[in-house]
Amino acid sequence: MIKAEKLTKRFDDIVAVDHITAEIKEGCVFGLIGTNGSGKSTFLRMASGILKPDEGSITIDGEEIWENPSVKARYFYISDDQHFFPNSTPQELMQFYRCIYPAFDEKRFYSLLENFGLKKDRKINTFSKGMKKQVSVICGICAGTDYIFCDETFDGLDPVMRQTVKSLFARDMEERNLTPIIASHNLRELEDICDHVGLLHRGGILLSRELDDMKLNIHKIQCVLKPGITPKDIVELDIVKQEQVGSLYTLTVRGNQEEIMRSMELVEPVFYELIPLSLEEIFISETEVAGYDIKALIL
Amino acid sequence: MIVLDYKDRRPLYEQVVERFKELIIKGILPEDMQMPSVRNQAMQLSINPNTIQRAYSELERQGFIYSVKGKGSFVANIGSLLDGKKEQWRQGMNSMILEGYAIGISRKEMEEMVAGGEMQHIAGQKNGPNSEQSKGQQQEEQKKRQQQSEGQEERGMDKL
Repeated sequence: MIKAEKLTKRFDDIVAVDHITAEIKEGCVFGLIGTNGSGKSTFLRMASGILKPDEGSITIDGEEIWENPSVKARYFYISDDQHFFPNSTPQELMQFYRCIYPAFDEKRFYSLLENFGLKKDRKINTFSKGMKKQVSVICGICAGTDYIFCDETFDGLDPVMRQTVKSLFARDMEERNLTPIIASHNLRELEDICDHVGLLHRGGILLSRELDDMKLNIHKIQCVLKPGITPKDIVELDIVKQEQVGSLYTLTVRGNQEEIMRSMELVEPVFYELIPLSLEEIFISETEVAGYDIKALIL
Repeated sequence: MIVLDYKDRRPLYEQVVERFKELIIKGILPEDMQMPSVRNQAMQLSINPNTIQRAYSELERQGFIYSVKGKGSFVANIGSLLDGKKEQWRQGMNSMILEGYAIGISRKEMEEMVAGGEMQHIAGQKNGPNSEQSKGQQQEEQKKRQQQSEGQEERGMDKL
């Protein structure tokens, strides 16, 4: 289990990560989502021991990560801006990683490389951006670590590769309880694969919850109410957002489906409909509540 | 084996449950057939194995599958589940018929609707994956249902 406690990182006067307390359990896929500059990458870089926290701590199973080689052998970090040794080939890269990760599966590395159509003796700097990402992902999966940190890894990959990488993750999760931690803006992508989602905003964590619970706990209601009744009159309805076009209200509401339906039935609306939100809509409504509504500034 | 609709807003595991239920009720997955393993299914759909696991637990809770330790999950005998569903359908049909008479729909119109539905059903069967084997059986069932609903219609008329 990865545990962050009051984790803080400052760059001069910018607070990139601000007292984050979070837990990442084993055997699930943790999705790290957040607005631009919210500290996703900084969080991952502290989790992988590249940056030293200014305050607080981040640990794997109770052990500090910073400057601790035995813990460092337990995760693989795929950085957003990747760095390879000059003039190195995938084979040389593998030889390097093999020294660090004792459980590195060499045979699987070569067979995956071949399946992905990458030559083991071609120089990595002649590869395209997406191909470089593929090399990193293959290394990450073959390293045999408990955790794999992916910073925007799916970004440079084409749709076929994304599906393939997800399948590889699924297999290793089942076989050896791999725990992928994926930071991304691409919510559609995360929706398929994450169990648990942490939403970052301005260095703080807005919420961290099971994805399914999250989806079951926030709903959109479209309704037409009886004349003289406004949404405020509906008892026990936790309204996050409210829009009105003519007599049609669109409400974003917290709470589970049955409770909401019960409250709605009480005011006998002319018509109402409950729609579950997509992860993207949850993201937008949660960050709007936290004061991140760029659209309102532009329009 | 199953296909997910990514535009559907419900949680993925609910969709997986729904799809498998359909396959089991239609008899495409016969009784005692082994369900695909969690790992294979997750790899095939490129989704999280925990989602599949959750769906399987839900299917087991609802009585559609059973699991054998160390061997995997198998399709359960859904006879009683199906009987319950049929009974529910009959009751629903009965109230629909009563409502129909109440708003002035004639028996002839109802019969035409049943015939139309049957045509649709047969057309769907032809396009479906396991058409031949169960067609006759289902046609018979349809006939039975028709007779039953006719009986109910008459009863409904008596009431009127």
